[in-house]
Amino acid sequence: MADRRRINGPAGATIPPVFDEDGKQYEHKVAKIRDRAPTAIRKMFLKTGVTPSASGSAYLEYESSAKSGVSGLKLSCTVHGPRSLPRSSPFSPHIVLSTHVKYAPFATKQRRGYLRDPSERDLGTHLETALRGAIIADRWPKSGVDIIISIIEGDQDRETSKFQGDETWDMMNALSGCITVASAALADAGIDCVDTVAGGVAALVQDTSDDSTPRIVLDPIPSEHEKILGACCVAYLPIRDEVTNLWFKGDLPASDIDLYTKLVESGIQASRNGNRVLVECLGETVA
Amino acid sequence: MTTSAPTLAIPGQLLGHASKYQPGPGTHIHESNLYASLLGTIHVTQPAKAPGPVKRLTKITPAPAPAELPTISVTVPTRSAGAEHQQKKREVLPEVGNVVLCRVIRITPRQAVVAILVCGDTVLDAEWQGLIRVQDVRATEKDRVKIYESFRPGDIVRAEVISLGDQANYYLSTARNELGVILATSEAGNAMHPVNWKEYRDPETGLLELRKVAKPY
Repeated sequence: MADRRRINGPAGATIPPVFDEDGKQYEHKVAKIRDRAPTAIRKMFLKTGVTPSASGSAYLEYESSAKSGVSGLKLSCTVHGPRSLPRSSPFSPHIVLSTHVKYAPFATKQRRGYLRDPSERDLGTHLETALRGAIIADRWPKSGVDIIISIIEGDQDRETSKFQGDETWDMMNALSGCITVASAALADAGIDCVDTVAGGVAALVQDTSDDSTPRIVLDPIPSEHEKILGACCVAYLPIRDEVTNLWFKGDLPASDIDLYTKLVESGIQASRNGNRVLVECLGETVA
Repeated sequence: MTTSAPTLAIPGQLLGHASKYQPGPGTHIHESNLYASLLGTIHVTQPAKAPGPVKRLTKITPAPAPAELPTISVTVPTRSAGAEHQQKKREVLPEVGNVVLCRVIRITPRQAVVAILVCGDTVLDAEWQGLIRVQDVRATEKDRVKIYESFRPGDIVRAEVISLGDQANYYLSTARNELGVILATSEAGNAMHPVNWKEYRDPETGLLELRKVAKPY
């Protein structure tokens, strides 16, 4: 259904022109090079209990890139329930999980609509799969829980004029944040989970500065790399040592058959790192 | 009887081997180990012992079950900080065997539809719908039961959950002496008091009305 009633802003951003001033050469913007170690993820801020009216809530913020105009990822998650199912729904001996992920209209470079588009539904489905493996669903028969995530800031470079290829890489970062923040909110809501699930992203990137050998980095920022060959987003339970959701995209060079396994292992490593922040945050919540 | 020194648990935290504790609320067993499944504080409750040494053996009792294990549970802490939003409590669901308080919404010849308000000692946040079928109203003379001689809309009923029921309703039963209507208003709108097991009397008009009366505790 098209959204006709609201007055939407222009779909894309425009960048003001920059002129040369009296001979001073405007330095050409160089693409930001990743300054973290390949195995380091960005700093995170996680806090639970931010929305008093919800049963459980959490807020997650990723450190923004040093480059101006690139904002980090900002997510807010609310959990409502467990509550009774609507009368029309069939009997369920388990808890019924419903996940909604929505980008704020201003969250990305390309303006988003108010209605959920297919990519947001996709994120919701991935998130549901990731959480379903962590929740002990039969503790709450005949009830439903709603997990609503708003992506307030979408972790995109707003100053690049060229549209950088694939939006999937941004979605992977967003999904990993969604998993972590939803896990914190579920724990805050007091819904039984077997473990704390956290998301992690690893990517195979090719930079111009390198001697053109692709390398694996954790928590990639698409604008910091020349080209991303493949990436995977993992939702991982560290104590159970189980992966609840795996999203892989890209073409890997056929020369290295272990590359796929390596990439997934790096994703698990990124998820472990994220989980450390999650555990610390939950400890603060109780204390 | 809870031992002191409660420590924090986050979901997935190892609490001990399943041979050392019995799993309480907020825990789960995985590969014969006990893990926390909630975020909260750990409590270890020792098994209830005999109140004191038995002075004289007056009757033969079966030998106590060997190795009664302490129960370990994880409870969600109540928020004391930030009094502006009232004390946050965990959602409770009615379970089979619970005694609940409910209000009668509407009656039909076959059943009474009620809204479950209180489960055990906790007031429920969400409103759950329940059903008292005509065969579950009382234990004797089930074929003579008439719903309109047992409940009226607006009555407060104490009932027991007998089944999770269908998609919308919990099935409840009042087939015990201490279950039934505990608060009723007359057709004139006055609060009534019970006079026997099947009648309430309006103190102002003196009229009797039929109910399935709960035996006072």
